[in-house]
Amino acid sequence: MAIKKQKELDIEEKSPENRILSFPDEVLERVLVFVKTHKDRSAVSLVCRDWYNAERWSRTHVFIGNCYSVSPEMVARRFPNIRSVTLKGKPRFSDFNLVPPNWGSDIHPWLVVFASAYPFLEELRLKRMTVTDESLDFLARSFPEFKALSLVSCDGFSTDGLASITTYCRNLTELDIQESGIEDLGGSWLNFPESFTSLEALNFANLHSEVNFDALERLVARCKSLKVLKVNKHVMLEQLRRLLVRAPQLTELGTGPFSQDHKLRSHIDLESAFSNCKNLNTLSGLWEVSSMYLPALFPACTNLTFLNLSYTALQSAELAKLLQKCPLLRRLWVLDTVEDKGLEAVASSCHLLQELRVFPADPFEQEVIMEGGGNGVTESGFVAVSEGCPNLHYVLYFCHQMTNAAVATVVRNCPNFTHFRLCIMDMRRPDYLTNEPMDEAFGAVVKTCSKLRRLAVSGLLTDRAFEYIGTYAKNLETLSVAFAGSSDRGMQCVLEGCPKLRKLEIRDCPFGNAALLSGLERYESMRSLWMSACNLTMNGCQLLARKMPRLNVEVIKEDESDDMHAEKVYVYRSVAGPRRDAPPFVLTL
Amino acid sequence: MELELGLALPNNHLMKGFDLNDGSTTNSYRKRGFEEAFEKVIPFSSPLPRKTTLPLFVHKNGGDGDDENDGPQLKNPDELNSISGSRALVGWPPVKHPRRRSAGGGAGERWSEDCGSNSYAGGGGRRAKCVKVKMEGVAIGRKVDLCLHDSYEELFHTLNQMFPTMQHGVAYAHPHHRHFTVTYEDGEGDWLLVGDVPWEAFIQSVKRLKILS
Repeated sequence: MAIKKQKELDIEEKSPENRILSFPDEVLERVLVFVKTHKDRSAVSLVCRDWYNAERWSRTHVFIGNCYSVSPEMVARRFPNIRSVTLKGKPRFSDFNLVPPNWGSDIHPWLVVFASAYPFLEELRLKRMTVTDESLDFLARSFPEFKALSLVSCDGFSTDGLASITTYCRNLTELDIQESGIEDLGGSWLNFPESFTSLEALNFANLHSEVNFDALERLVARCKSLKVLKVNKHVMLEQLRRLLVRAPQLTELGTGPFSQDHKLRSHIDLESAFSNCKNLNTLSGLWEVSSMYLPALFPACTNLTFLNLSYTALQSAELAKLLQKCPLLRRLWVLDTVEDKGLEAVASSCHLLQELRVFPADPFEQEVIMEGGGNGVTESGFVAVSEGCPNLHYVLYFCHQMTNAAVATVVRNCPNFTHFRLCIMDMRRPDYLTNEPMDEAFGAVVKTCSKLRRLAVSGLLTDRAFEYIGTYAKNLETLSVAFAGSSDRGMQCVLEGCPKLRKLEIRDCPFGNAALLSGLERYESMRSLWMSACNLTMNGCQLLARKMPRLNVEVIKEDESDDMHAEKVYVYRSVAGPRRDAPPFVLTL
Repeated sequence: MELELGLALPNNHLMKGFDLNDGSTTNSYRKRGFEEAFEKVIPFSSPLPRKTTLPLFVHKNGGDGDDENDGPQLKNPDELNSISGSRALVGWPPVKHPRRRSAGGGAGERWSEDCGSNSYAGGGGRRAKCVKVKMEGVAIGRKVDLCLHDSYEELFHTLNQMFPTMQHGVAYAHPHHRHFTVTYEDGEGDWLLVGDVPWEAFIQSVKRLKILS
């Protein structure tokens, strides 16, 4: 298939120092096959020329964290034998509508290059990329060995594009469109041929229209290797039961609504279907849970390690009952409808818990006020979990009130946080008991959690918080900041003090040109910097662009009102030069 | 149960003795979050009281909550209500896919599950245009997703279902004579009669609805 270089080695002519490096390429490449992570592979490639070459010939998977940092042609030139590609596109704040539509990160130019360079491509994993139906069709027809397609938070395609995939990809093992903005034209996109049996993972949970259930049932019945199945809201309990009966080997299940289905004859049938699923480790979906049906799940919960209840408005009592059945739980995602009482149940049942995410049920406060207040979770729920779950290392916590003391207690109980994301939803909210800023809370986090890699801050914060971060967070890689800080000094502290910083995203902070320029030396060792609604001007950005030619400094200009102000700035390192596909509202300086 | 909307003093958190937190309601400081968005950033240690004007600052797209204070002064709690209901700040809180409360113990109407801020989700979901509907004399307001309707007839049908007294009113009065008047507030803050403009134009400009008897 790929033509390997044959290098003649004349050992006598090589000096003794080089002899250790001059064993045949084939051997080195065989050894390097065992080096898997892209970080390790990058390290290998930097050792010497021979190793660089051996590495590039033996690499089968390439990870590109920013699709504009390199061009597809460059990737194809360096790595001839790629089978699997992971690509990420838009800046993360595009998830919150801060990036205008049609910004870019179109997969198509990549597919065109891959079609000729990697005709045997097997896997494509995309995050925040734009993917059109034409691209999906092109993909389906260009890569006969194609196996796995994962589209996370992508947009631009419809169910028609999915139909191309299911029709033409004969060897497909994985189709995952989670959280993607798909235009739902309905229809029967799930039209794998009857001879098709290779599917191992199928996730269409966020699709709004019904799929053809008969086709789905037949598909599930004949794909004996199916391990992951996540259906959407249209698959009711009786249909779910039928699917489970056909696929007891599932390890990951996403259900539809878990509520009243008059087609379901009895709870016992449902419960027995679940009890046959002895290998389930992940459970999600569960929209509209009715407590009447919840116990049917219990037999399948014994081996659960990941429970995603973030679409389920569960009350604390129901959660408590469910958690008692999940002794091995490592990861739990819930809505704040469970309130502090629910988190106390987590603390008493889930001693092995490593990750907790608490999402707000009503973040934009649009709901009619319901009976029982619905205050979400507070600092006491947070403290309770930290007391019961000492292995906690990942937290994402949305709340309306927090105190410095509570956060200090949490990290004292759980000093091993690697990911600490606290979102006090009320902007610039101080410690609600002392009215102090929340500086000391995050100070405690960075002082105590030496392994911290990702941090998101919130609440009222002065430059002091950032001084703490710069002083103590030596392993920090990702920092998210909103409505915080008092002056340029805050951002400067972080840029000067955090050597491993790779991603910095800032919105609505009083950081200006001085802060931006203080990071001149840093940006080339970072993936990207995002700053929106700060105090940056076009002059400041232009200065940065002039001084650092290997950075792309892009300003998103959406209205003509203030020419001097740089409303949204995106800075990233790139070896591909300025974007050639930038829309008119993206100015590359 | 009337919704309690207090306009908290903007410099509340600088006044230690003043306790708005009586523990039973959380409305007051939830709303304060949005109030704080509209004020200039003042260093925490500043002795100066914050400005007391709270401009009506409603973004549609693009605006990132810059603290520009040139807007009309807030007149009444209803306007504060409208800010919090109509997306004053893009992308905050940073929730990707609003996970709405589904039919828990309370109101179980299907529309309330779909109605939400799906249009926030950068990558996900269908569009939804939810507007608040308040009926004169009825304590609790509702919300209706206009994107689920294609015409005024459909909208009135939904409103009839939401407000049963409205239905009775229609039944007892002449069957063809709507006893209740449905009005809406448009983009410019004017209150107009529902039904006068073409449906598409209505959808673009409507901010909220009010049913008068």
